[in-house]
Amino acid sequence: MKNDFLAKKKILILAGMGLAIVAAYWTIHGVSEGSQPVDFNTEIRPILNKKCITCHGGVKRSGEFSLLFRTDALGVNESGERAIVPGDVSESEMLRRIKHHDPEVRMPPEGDPLPPEEITLLTRWIEEGAHWEDHWAYVKPEPIDPPDVASDWVQNGIDPFVLQQLQQEELQPSAKADKATLLRRLSLDLTGLPPTEAELNHFLSNTSAEAYEQEVDRLLASPRYGERWASMWMDLARYADSKGYEADRERSIWQYRDWLIEAFNEDKPFDEFTIEQLAGDLLPDPTDDQLIATAFHRNTMNNDEGGTDDEEFRVSAVIDRVNTTWDVWQATTMACVQCHSHPYDPIRHEDYYKSMAFFNNTADEDVASEAPNLKTFKHPEDRQSLEEVKNWVITHTASADVKLEKAAQVVNLVKLTEPKIHGHSFDQIEKGTLDGYKRLTMEDQGHNRIPGAPLTGADQLLIRYSSDKKGTQVDIRLDSLAGERIATWDIQKSEGFETVSVPIRPATGKHDIYLTFRNPAQKGYLCTIEWVLVNESLPGKDRPGYQEVHNQLFRLLNNDETIQTPVMAEKQDGYRRKTHVFERGNWMVHGEEVQPGVPKAWNAMPEGVPQNRLGLALWLVSKENPLTARVAVNRFWAQLFGTGIVETIEDFGTQGFAPSHPALLDWLAQQFMYEQDWSIKKLLKQMVMSATYQQSSKASPELLALDPGNRLLARGPRVRLTAEQVRDQALAVSGLLSDKMYGASVMPVQPEGIWQVVYNGKEWETSEGEDQHRRALYTYWRRTSPYPSMIAFDGPSREFCVTRRINTNTPLQALASLNDPVYMEAAYALAQRMQQTDQVEDQLKKGYKLAMLRDIDPKKLRDLQHLYEETRLQLEAQPEAVEQVAGPSNIQLATLTVVANVILNLDEFITKS
Amino acid sequence: MDLFQELQYRRLQDQTRRHFLKQCTSGLGAIAFGSMMGCNPFSSSPSPQKVAAIDTNPMATKFPHFAAKAKRVIYLHMAGSPSQLELFDYKPELAKLHNKDCPPSLLEGKKFAFIQGVPKMLGPQAQFKNHGQSGTMVSNHLPHFASVVDEAAIIKSMHTDEFNHAPAQLLLQTGGARLGRPSMGAWVTYGLGTENENLPGFMVLVSGGKTPSAGKSVWGSGFLPSVYQGVQCRSEGDPVLYVSNPDGIDGNLRRKTLDAINSINEKEYHDVQDPEILTRISQYEMAFRMQTSVPEVMDINKEPEHIHKMYGTEPGKSSFANNCLLARRLVEKGVRFVQLFDWGWDSHGTDKSTALEDGFQEKCRQVDQPMAALIKDLKQRGLLEETLVIWGGEFGRTPMQENRNGKEMPFMGRDHHTEAFTMWMAGGGIKGGMTYGETDEIGYYGIKNRVHVHDMQATVLHQLGMNHEKLTFPFQGRDFRLTDVAGKVVKEIIA
Repeated sequence: MKNDFLAKKKILILAGMGLAIVAAYWTIHGVSEGSQPVDFNTEIRPILNKKCITCHGGVKRSGEFSLLFRTDALGVNESGERAIVPGDVSESEMLRRIKHHDPEVRMPPEGDPLPPEEITLLTRWIEEGAHWEDHWAYVKPEPIDPPDVASDWVQNGIDPFVLQQLQQEELQPSAKADKATLLRRLSLDLTGLPPTEAELNHFLSNTSAEAYEQEVDRLLASPRYGERWASMWMDLARYADSKGYEADRERSIWQYRDWLIEAFNEDKPFDEFTIEQLAGDLLPDPTDDQLIATAFHRNTMNNDEGGTDDEEFRVSAVIDRVNTTWDVWQATTMACVQCHSHPYDPIRHEDYYKSMAFFNNTADEDVASEAPNLKTFKHPEDRQSLEEVKNWVITHTASADVKLEKAAQVVNLVKLTEPKIHGHSFDQIEKGTLDGYKRLTMEDQGHNRIPGAPLTGADQLLIRYSSDKKGTQVDIRLDSLAGERIATWDIQKSEGFETVSVPIRPATGKHDIYLTFRNPAQKGYLCTIEWVLVNESLPGKDRPGYQEVHNQLFRLLNNDETIQTPVMAEKQDGYRRKTHVFERGNWMVHGEEVQPGVPKAWNAMPEGVPQNRLGLALWLVSKENPLTARVAVNRFWAQLFGTGIVETIEDFGTQGFAPSHPALLDWLAQQFMYEQDWSIKKLLKQMVMSATYQQSSKASPELLALDPGNRLLARGPRVRLTAEQVRDQALAVSGLLSDKMYGASVMPVQPEGIWQVVYNGKEWETSEGEDQHRRALYTYWRRTSPYPSMIAFDGPSREFCVTRRINTNTPLQALASLNDPVYMEAAYALAQRMQQTDQVEDQLKKGYKLAMLRDIDPKKLRDLQHLYEETRLQLEAQPEAVEQVAGPSNIQLATLTVVANVILNLDEFITKS
Repeated sequence: MDLFQELQYRRLQDQTRRHFLKQCTSGLGAIAFGSMMGCNPFSSSPSPQKVAAIDTNPMATKFPHFAAKAKRVIYLHMAGSPSQLELFDYKPELAKLHNKDCPPSLLEGKKFAFIQGVPKMLGPQAQFKNHGQSGTMVSNHLPHFASVVDEAAIIKSMHTDEFNHAPAQLLLQTGGARLGRPSMGAWVTYGLGTENENLPGFMVLVSGGKTPSAGKSVWGSGFLPSVYQGVQCRSEGDPVLYVSNPDGIDGNLRRKTLDAINSINEKEYHDVQDPEILTRISQYEMAFRMQTSVPEVMDINKEPEHIHKMYGTEPGKSSFANNCLLARRLVEKGVRFVQLFDWGWDSHGTDKSTALEDGFQEKCRQVDQPMAALIKDLKQRGLLEETLVIWGGEFGRTPMQENRNGKEMPFMGRDHHTEAFTMWMAGGGIKGGMTYGETDEIGYYGIKNRVHVHDMQATVLHQLGMNHEKLTFPFQGRDFRLTDVAGKVVKEIIA
């Protein structure tokens, strides 16, 4: 990376007449020849990756030669030659082919021959023994100390790294930003909202040396902090309030969003934060919160379209979980490995399926109900009732060893109701069918099979059904239509869908269950069955009160006064799936079976961890993992500085960008793991306390020319706000913003006719009262049709995990912030606040200050004054316009509203500087 | 130097530097003129082009890979998928099999969305005749289109991989059956930019009362910057979202507010030197121009009476006819890609509205006259030569009658079918009056010159002067393209 920056200075740019003539003086730099050994990662790998790996990588292995792994690179190829013989240049076929004069023989086969300096490097590398190093990101960060640079500028450990590089480039850091700018930056960064006037005044008048740090601590402790960072994480979690695909029906998963807010606010350490989201359900006695955390991976899409294969979309969801996990925690693009070995990075095809095996054993199966859902009872008496059922189990389970286990099972039964056997698993259906929701619908004399139900220890079937017919009888038999009858079920008329218990004769092992339906008196469908569940009834059958507690249990099972959130639940013995490699990524073509595992190029699984999602989560947060901490600190860094230390925050592989400050990245990662114990608040505090962060973002033309992307950090960040922040800030400075937290998503004002989704009657119903002015993260997010101004400002659709939003600058953004009724409402409210002083000049100053939190420059004030006068003049002739903007005869307020509309559209307003 | 010259200069500088740095890491390459002019998708070295932002003006006109026959596209997507067997693919043999059980060989190993068990064959529910000098077969449901059939190449051997609407629409429009890929219109504007600075480069018009099954993703930008996504024009309310000023603020006042915004932004620029501010100023100016140009182009009231008659348009209504006329007006103004979706073609026969003998014919009436008028109108204005018009659904329909849940149904309908369907293309350098590809005797399989949806996409890009293998964007570690890893240009239909 250092080389790039040096190179930059050596570029001369001559531009004229629309054509640019570029002349470059490029020298091979870094180490001078012969002085130091060639460095594989910085000098050799880039050549191999650019020139060779497309044909000699993971996908194509032309001539059976691949440069992905050392063993392959040094091995004997198809031709019988060895491309690379360490220490022996003359025997190395690769060099012979690269240097060959005949273009037919020379490598690479297309384009120009390699430049002499690259050939020299490769030659020296082989001479020196062809030392191979793993890509930097796969080697765990080593302990490192900040470099020794003497400067008053340095505030903490971050700064020496930055300063050292600036000094190498003969640059100076920028001056510290003024206090007002700094507090606005800090407040937007930590809480997503600007400071209030009072907060600013307090900071300005606080002359203590710790004034800035006090603000940092205040903002980290603010409940707004959790909202701001949850908002970021929701892109990674692909959080949405709808299921996606065709009908894109509603999904209730906002409890997960609330979990995120709380997790950030209570500063849940990043390792726990990781474990709970990936495997909270596999922790011992998981709490409801830990289960809700696992909704992270239930944000995958669910397809309700008629005629679709649930298994296909279940697999799709699992694949998305694999890709997302690797994207979010490892910045590694696994998606390509689904079909073939990674073209550039050391991940083999089967590694993908080993990763998938961790995720392939959850109970969700793309059913319309999105089961398994965690049920939270709305009413305390229902929660009490569940306690009573649980206590009954404890009291009446004879064996003390299993009391608690059995009690936990019954609680799980009520809250999750697993392991269900869904309608789509039923087969051999005669005189019946599966409806659009894959529910079994049967006629008289109809029968079907429930394949392979594990019956050991079970004495009842729970059946979820609906029927409006009397007199239907179902024979339930084992192994065949004529097999042993284990139960007879007399179907009662139901009120919608109900869950009932059908006692069965006990059996052991796995059996096919056959259901035969009889009701000759009725024509047409007799009943519809959604799912069946095999389990054990409550203990204490012979005790007084049994029937009552049994009824209590079924009242809870049929209770709809609940909040339901889709969560992860691991399949238990008897229900587990096998995972196979999919040939060429096609889910219908199974290759060999695989077991859970992590790619060899990474650290091994820690000893003694289970081979399941929990094990995977523990592996990710193991301090041996080379990527987790680096990827995390880089992500937070990018949020504050606008660009990551690794710019491609989504890809740390060999095709991603190299870090601008590799040592700083490693130091931060080490600090995060060892000094800060994965505390995100401590990490952020360290970043914002640095002198690097506190620099002014003003750039001189020279600096801008030298470093347009601010990769050297010689100035502070200047970045457009996110879609959420753009909205929240406008509401905040105008005084409209509600600080209400949590709960189901809300529907602020949106133009008519945005939602037109097929097979779905749900409509946008504008929320009442303060719910119209909640922070953007509470806005109902529908995947096929997200809130328009969110999309205009680069919010993603959340169909998949998006690790980096790319900021654009478009006319549609201008139209939204100029004309969206929400922004006009904000302008009107801001104008009202401006009216709190009397003189026009003061009003204009006040409006600007409320928005920008600094005093207006006199020249800019003249622009506003000019606008004010012209607007006033025009509105005097347009009483009806005045009325439309601010009510009858309120010309002063109408004029100020127009001015406020301008203030809310200034570049400096929608930019963090 | 004034501010806008400065902006131009900075763009040039940035592009040059960025491009140069890229080249530096991969050896010195020739720097193409085109790459100076904006984000150039064609400088596709395998190097990571993961730039932080597509800065400056991503919509600037860009040069194609080679000389283009077509400059713009109008895509008429019949969402839900019309039956080819009632419109273009005449199958007298199928008529003979009408009401007979479907032979098991057609069912083995096949999956259908709704057909279960053994369905009956369903003969064509239409009369066919030769039309035009080419003698192309068109059914009685499309009398107007029959009159312009000599302008079109009819491809009868289309096939796809997906038999459900949403994934099939995605495959057709984005090249991948899952969500997340950029749509064809996004790729095209990414590749070519726009010719009109006052209008978006990619505009979308929807009729039939619903957006397509796959939602707005079929005109989304996927992993391309959002500036390339289709801008939906609405038939009610603002034609483009937020294009109208709030009540009480007229164009004059809006101009004044923009002057104030720009003036203050200029001062901010002089203070902090961030070139992004200059871009913002130019985007606010474009927004202002759009406020005039969008309502203007979307207002069909002033079209002469004979044009309304020709299309069957009724100003103020939401209809496919109105959208066809709008499409012409948009391409006339230089909009690069105009995408129409017309919902309501899913002729299962589960009720009257989806019955081949009822609702389907009504849908035909709704589209026949306007789509024929569109071709005639483009031609009489000399626009057809450079405008590629494409028509079709996302898949075909089965020669069998649908028997949902294994039962006979009250109306005649056909299930989704991947193996054969018909599309047509006209203008933009496509050979008129030809039929390409053949299906078997009952219209089940394409048996000659099969054209996959990726081939169609490759052909569209080719007509626009782009090599579908070279129009790429790096994402998740690899270079993605519209045609995924497939696609072959159908040379035979090119004039």
